[in-house]
Amino acid sequence: MVPRFFTAMPIPTPFHTRTQALCTSMFWKDWAGYYAVRSFDTCHEREYYAVRHAVGLFDVSPLFKYDVRGEGAMALLSRVMTRDISKLRPGRVTYCCWCDDDGKVMDDGTVSNLGDDHYRVTAAEPTYGWLCRNARGLPVEITETTDDIGSLALQGPTSRALLSEIVADTKKPIEKLRFFRLLKATIAGHPVIISRTGYTGDLGYEVWVSREHALDVWDQIYAAGRRHGLVPAGLDALDVTRIEAGFIMNGVDYQSAHHCLIESRKCSPFELGLGWTVDLDRPGFNGQAALRRELANGSTWATVGLELDWDEYEAHFTEFGLPPHVSSSAWRTSIPLYAPRRGGRVNGRQIGYATSGAWSPLLKKNLAIATIEPKFQVPGTRIRIEVTVEHERRSVAATVRETPFFNPPRKRA
Amino acid sequence: MNAFDAIVIGAGTNGLTCAALLAQQGMAVVVVEAHEQIGGLARAHEFHPGYRSAGVLHDTTVVRPWVVDQLSLVHHGLQLRPTKPDVLALGAPGESLLLAGDRLRTAGEIAKVSERDADAFLEYRAYLDRLRPVLSQFFDRQPLDLIDTGMGDLWAMFRQGLSLRKLGKKGALELARLMPMCVGDWLDEWFETDLLKAALALPAVAGTFTGPRSPGTNANLLLHEAAAGTGGVVAGAPALVRALEKSARANGTSIRNGIEVKRLLTDGGCVEGVELVDGEELRAPLVVSSADPKTTLLELLPAGTLPRSTEEALVSWRTRGTTGIVLLALDRKPVFTCAPDKNIAYAQTGGHILDIERAFDAVKYRQVAAKPVLEIEVPTVERPNLAPEGHAVVAVRVHFVPHTHDSGWSEQQRSTLGDQVVAELGQHLENLADTIVAREVMTPADLETSYGTTGGHIHHGEHALDQLLVRPAPGCQRYTTPLEGLFLCGAGSHPGGGLTCAPGGLAATAIART
Repeated sequence: MVPRFFTAMPIPTPFHTRTQALCTSMFWKDWAGYYAVRSFDTCHEREYYAVRHAVGLFDVSPLFKYDVRGEGAMALLSRVMTRDISKLRPGRVTYCCWCDDDGKVMDDGTVSNLGDDHYRVTAAEPTYGWLCRNARGLPVEITETTDDIGSLALQGPTSRALLSEIVADTKKPIEKLRFFRLLKATIAGHPVIISRTGYTGDLGYEVWVSREHALDVWDQIYAAGRRHGLVPAGLDALDVTRIEAGFIMNGVDYQSAHHCLIESRKCSPFELGLGWTVDLDRPGFNGQAALRRELANGSTWATVGLELDWDEYEAHFTEFGLPPHVSSSAWRTSIPLYAPRRGGRVNGRQIGYATSGAWSPLLKKNLAIATIEPKFQVPGTRIRIEVTVEHERRSVAATVRETPFFNPPRKRA
Repeated sequence: MNAFDAIVIGAGTNGLTCAALLAQQGMAVVVVEAHEQIGGLARAHEFHPGYRSAGVLHDTTVVRPWVVDQLSLVHHGLQLRPTKPDVLALGAPGESLLLAGDRLRTAGEIAKVSERDADAFLEYRAYLDRLRPVLSQFFDRQPLDLIDTGMGDLWAMFRQGLSLRKLGKKGALELARLMPMCVGDWLDEWFETDLLKAALALPAVAGTFTGPRSPGTNANLLLHEAAAGTGGVVAGAPALVRALEKSARANGTSIRNGIEVKRLLTDGGCVEGVELVDGEELRAPLVVSSADPKTTLLELLPAGTLPRSTEEALVSWRTRGTTGIVLLALDRKPVFTCAPDKNIAYAQTGGHILDIERAFDAVKYRQVAAKPVLEIEVPTVERPNLAPEGHAVVAVRVHFVPHTHDSGWSEQQRSTLGDQVVAELGQHLENLADTIVAREVMTPADLETSYGTTGGHIHHGEHALDQLLVRPAPGCQRYTTPLEGLFLCGAGSHPGGGLTCAPGGLAATAIART
């Protein structure tokens, strides 16, 4: 296979022949060098509702994947990740981020302990070089497996029932697989790894299968899916669900420290609301000293969820004689936030910016993820956000909310 | 409970200096030395029955006077020469120029070939005299931390700036012009005699991975000139080691030789002691290593202990040794054909700047130069007892010899190197080949094995502008390391290699402050 960054065009994922046949909208995008479906229909709405009410099937193979093996694997990952990977037991997955020496986030992703000194890292960006640069003297073998392993995300309330029909050869039934755990199994007679993880904030699983068995596994899932309301889903639906789940996205809600041209664009795990992934008190890891200092001295920014005031929003449209309008897709542009003045009706100084947002069809709320000065981060705080109505810049009130916005008990149950 | 307050790794001149100074402050110090004999690169060894070398490093004129004072080295038997020893610069066979310890005598010698250069030489010396008070601070002060600049550093820079002002605006600008220059160009500005230029240039490139046409080498020349503080030590490097040892022991330091450190013991970002190869553990809250930075921080520490950035900087730390050693045992005193009636103790070859440059060229391609440049010491002139009665020892530092030979170092390659050196030397010494009783050839690879310095580098790391300014790596610039309690005190730290004793001395000062 030609390394994908050397090809001029995106390349197909292991599931491409199946997704291509289904993608009647021809609505594709380039995700990390692969063809990825934005929505199979002309609009992603049906796919979105499938995730929340039945099950959506996403091809998430373009996610960067690295297999780290060997005696030094745990030490390497403990050194790189903000989490103490020495505490990650076999069969478990953890979400974390990794920092440069100044404690600025380079990327976020998951680490799975597959047992026998074998770990798998997922990342939004190429990370092979960074892992290698941290591995001097450690007995590890680092392999990029992005192109060798197909990944499918089955997300939604019926995902468990679907999988339980087709999964075989597990040590314990799939119904017993707890949140952020993984197990080895077979589907259609082929070995797979199933982790209870996802990017939708719902009950859901991810299935990891080697490229040569990918289509068989897709076919079996797809066939069984008929009985469970399965709908193949694209990235537009995923984007709305991840905002409802309050998940940040590299390149959208923050910029990797790798690419920032100016210092002020970089951010720390604390600033991203990922402080809970930082295990500070343990042997050295990348960025530890800087993160300690930041914890003591305070951060410059915070990441919060925002809910926009609907009445004010609607009033702006009414003024023009228009019905209120929201885009059905998620947006990802930088929108200024202001401190409220004069009873909250007028904009004060700028206090941050929203980075992405969406209308939540399920919650019937206009949501955003934002970077804001820490003193405004307390849930319930009212601020103001810019909106553009009929080509005019206006603003509406917005309230800081706890994330996830949508957090169904079934996610962890 | 710890039996010691501090463990010093390595009993070279820097390790001993640091240990002695720490002991002077009342600490219980133990020095552990891997070799059976102390002295490191300054230790003498018997390379043939009855013949002893005088150490790999031989320029004792750079030893810092304040170290001599603080450790009362004179009281402990150190004798300083009143003036620098003469060095005979050898050009083409029969051509030579005596660089005398005394500058007027040197000018007289130069005048025999060029009146103009004789005058220029006195002017050159006077100019260096004006620079010395400014530049010698480099060797006698804590390094500036160019990475994490705090207020203290800004103040130090300010003070340094003030002393620069002594040179005047023109003088300071001139210094800024000189530092990045190549030594060849600058000497061309002064002199017309090729042999003189070559002779003055050699110390600037000896032991480096640069030739006299490489940028930045002029900084090395200026620093080398500024470092020369005394006339040198009578009986050379081994005598310095003996005095340091006596001083250290007088202060209560215990020295344990023949024991090798296997690894450093650490616990959560702190160093706790050392584990020896035989399994014994020595514990102390303070471990000071005079081993080279790569050995100390990359080999003695478990992988993953250091911050990645420090580790990466140390991996890139350049330690390509370019110096070989050839020791010759002679059955009579050597006679230099161009000065048959003189008892020459120091000489050097390289008749032309370009000869040195050509010798360096080869090492870039991992080959030995067709005509290597030699620094020659006849230690038996001052210490006849290094050889049997009437016999002599000639110690040659060979520039440039690659650490990694293009076709691998074999016994054959080593022998060829020895033959080359003997042939080159034979052009200047009467009947040399017939007088050789035995010889020992050490390549940089051999120096690495014998002395434990990474790359066989005699300065623990190349003397290049970048590696002199940030030495050895960010986070380890002021003898400290990212590990609490672990310090560096060797030639890989400021102000670098040679027999200055300055890294050891300044490290002790830095440790005392913490």
